[in-house]
Amino acid sequence: VLVRVCSPLPRFRALIQRCWERLERGLWPGVFGGQSPPWGPLAVQGPALVPQGINDVGESSAEAPILPESVVWMAAPKHRRTIEVNRCRRRHPTKLIERKRNIDVCPECGNLKQKHVLCGYCYAKVKEETRLIRMEMYKKEGGPFNAPTVETVVLYEGEKPTEKDEGKRIIERARKRPSWFVQN
Amino acid sequence: SGAAWARGLLSWARPERWLASGSLFPVSCIHTSTSLQKIGKWEKKNRIVYPPQLPGEPRRPAEIYHCRREIKYSKDKMWYLAKLIKGMSIDQALAQLEFSDKKGAKVIKEVLLEAQEMAVRKHNVEFKSNLHIAESQTGRGRYVKRLRCHGKGMFGMMKISRCHYFVKLVEGPPPPPEPPRTGFDQAKEYVQQLRNRTLVHTL
Repeated sequence: VLVRVCSPLPRFRALIQRCWERLERGLWPGVFGGQSPPWGPLAVQGPALVPQGINDVGESSAEAPILPESVVWMAAPKHRRTIEVNRCRRRHPTKLIERKRNIDVCPECGNLKQKHVLCGYCYAKVKEETRLIRMEMYKKEGGPFNAPTVETVVLYEGEKPTEKDEGKRIIERARKRPSWFVQN
Repeated sequence: SGAAWARGLLSWARPERWLASGSLFPVSCIHTSTSLQKIGKWEKKNRIVYPPQLPGEPRRPAEIYHCRREIKYSKDKMWYLAKLIKGMSIDQALAQLEFSDKKGAKVIKEVLLEAQEMAVRKHNVEFKSNLHIAESQTGRGRYVKRLRCHGKGMFGMMKISRCHYFVKLVEGPPPPPEPPRTGFDQAKEYVQQLRNRTLVHTL
């Protein structure tokens, strides 16, 4: 069941009211001395709003030529666009989705990847490992803002720190070194 | 041709349930599953059973019909994706959909993967890559009208649109694309039309 709270008529009526006020200010500038007209259920017929009812009868017949050119009427479609015309526009080749020709196979994992973008699977793998390394670092530091001023080295199972890693902070990871993480 | 017509009619009107035969009170005919909702026409297309082929006939390629109903997406926007993958092989279609930014691309990819799996498991397809998309269509789902609030207490009615997506996979490599119609073809057709003209209602 459709509940219609408001039809578009109030909006249309408000628009007509605004246009009529502009018209009146142009024709009778002395009527509204700076006061805005009250909103409410006003009649749409213009002549009833204005207190000077005598002039209206003469004015309403000659309304069209007295209309000032500053009043701009809104553009609206004149005819209904047929479905054939609509289809021609919607199915035009420029609107169709183009086939992508830059899709390749990642040599590492075999998933699909775009040529100018990193492989999604490999990136996710690296991201996961980085997250675990960061967790180890957080456990070692114990809290925020405790990053040491020395370099960090990540060592996996069965690896010993060399003489190059003298003053560096060592992070241990309890797993085999992944093939993509090259040791210096 | 009469026998072929009768065979075709029988094959169309022969659901699998009746093949299971037997007792005086066939329990299998009672509805045990919750099938109060209407089963759509596209889902029923998977149920047709052809009679066994004769030894000399060329092999009939397997056809798999799959669809998804009430997807929360617009049917016009979904149509562009359906048009993109029409006529492609399934691997190509999956590649295109994976890197498409549209919301419907994810849904269509899931549908295609489901259909591929169905093909391998139930429809006796040997290679899952040896499928191509013969038909891919969208349909209008149920729309719901809702209020949309504008400023100054104004309201409008908006419709929340949903769509269906239908796909038909056929075994085999994709058919070669049609060559575009040249002016020469159009001229030939025109001349043929002129030549076909004849006098009607005469001797």
